[in-house]
Amino acid sequence: MFPKRFDQARPFVTLGLILLAWIFLPLGVKTFSRATFFEIQAPLTVADSIVRDLQTFWSNRLHSKDELLKAGQQVAGLIARYEYANQSNAHLEAEILRLENLLKIPSMPDFRFEPARVARRDFSGWWQRMVIRKGSNYGITVGAPVVFAGGVVGRITEVHRYTSVVDLLTSPTLRLAATVEGDTRPISYQGGLNNSFTSPRGTVDYVPLDVYATTSASKHLVTSGLGGVFPPGLTIGDITSLEPSADGMFKSGEVQLDQRLGTLTEVTVLIPLNPEE
Amino acid sequence: MRRYDPRWLIVTLANLLLWWLTGLANHYVADFAMHFYLGGLLVAYGALRLDPRQGLIATVLTALLVDALEPVPFGTSLVLFSLVHVTVLYGRQRFPREGAIFGIVVALLANLFLVIALSFLLVGANPRPASAWLRIFADLFFSQIAILIVAPWFLALQDRAMELAEIHPETGRPVVR
Repeated sequence: MFPKRFDQARPFVTLGLILLAWIFLPLGVKTFSRATFFEIQAPLTVADSIVRDLQTFWSNRLHSKDELLKAGQQVAGLIARYEYANQSNAHLEAEILRLENLLKIPSMPDFRFEPARVARRDFSGWWQRMVIRKGSNYGITVGAPVVFAGGVVGRITEVHRYTSVVDLLTSPTLRLAATVEGDTRPISYQGGLNNSFTSPRGTVDYVPLDVYATTSASKHLVTSGLGGVFPPGLTIGDITSLEPSADGMFKSGEVQLDQRLGTLTEVTVLIPLNPEE
Repeated sequence: MRRYDPRWLIVTLANLLLWWLTGLANHYVADFAMHFYLGGLLVAYGALRLDPRQGLIATVLTALLVDALEPVPFGTSLVLFSLVHVTVLYGRQRFPREGAIFGIVVALLANLFLVIALSFLLVGANPRPASAWLRIFADLFFSQIAILIVAPWFLALQDRAMELAEIHPETGRPVVR
């Protein structure tokens, strides 16, 4: 029989023992446990996303034939526009290839486009992530860029069997190399300004002193292509304010991001075709 | 023959249900830049009503389920949830722990501790910590209100599940209906 004083402290002793056991548990066991506990919950996450899709499907079935005809006409117009853009794109790609061969410069990274539905959004003050309904079963890799019609969405941070986790552009854990459109000097972008009931914002650092931006005369911020993860020229947002940094050598400021990042239902993952390069 | 004791399983499954519902709510409020964190409520029932062993098993499993979904070092919630669990366990004999009001108060205090502890661990990554704290306190406010609303239902759900399983939450003895 333990003395009364020990009995009172027993919960804390048990906690200490559990923590000791946890510290000395091999990393492989922890990694396996994490993957297992994630996959146990994955069907729940995917199931409610599928139910939402079904809900949308049935609500779309209620549209009248007139509405569908109008939508069809709009889609036909869009297809014609995209077909023209596709032809221009093919011509430009051939031109890039010709110049690469002529100047003997390494070719641009090539990507395969993998569209994916958003299963879950998780936007807190600590992190900003979303779960998409495609994983290693579609060849998605960790670090792959994720985009949508408005530009960059984020980067894949975890890949599971049927789902992947995207770290969003608004997340404080995401940093990437950017440039002001029309300029080639690199700038550091980081997410993380997400006050309640306001549109998402990010921050920029190491902005050259001769770059000016205000709310009325904002500067368009795009990916620089440095680092090899994101292709160059993808929209990040608009720089709306810039102030000299503490050392006076650069400027720091805020970036207004796309409001649609909070309501995305479908994104595209850019999977590198030659990851070894 | 020894009867199988499912108390840890009942509490863990109830916690999984609550965690899933919280995730669903967070999905819909993401556009308003809001977030609910109900970690404190996941610990309350196990720490207040179950016996120490069964309660700790439920808390550890719940913490691992939570850890698997969050971008924190695996084991962070395990440490924090276990710490809250043993603290409640240490003092629970002195309070009317069967009452729903006390359960809600414990859930609110536990949630307050968990949010602040997690924030101290994670806020360093933010480029503007002051702005991040403002958002964290706003989220904490919404989370505490959500706990006030959800806790009576959630504690009653677990009590009812124990009744359906015909088992006493603390002693594990069969209860005749």
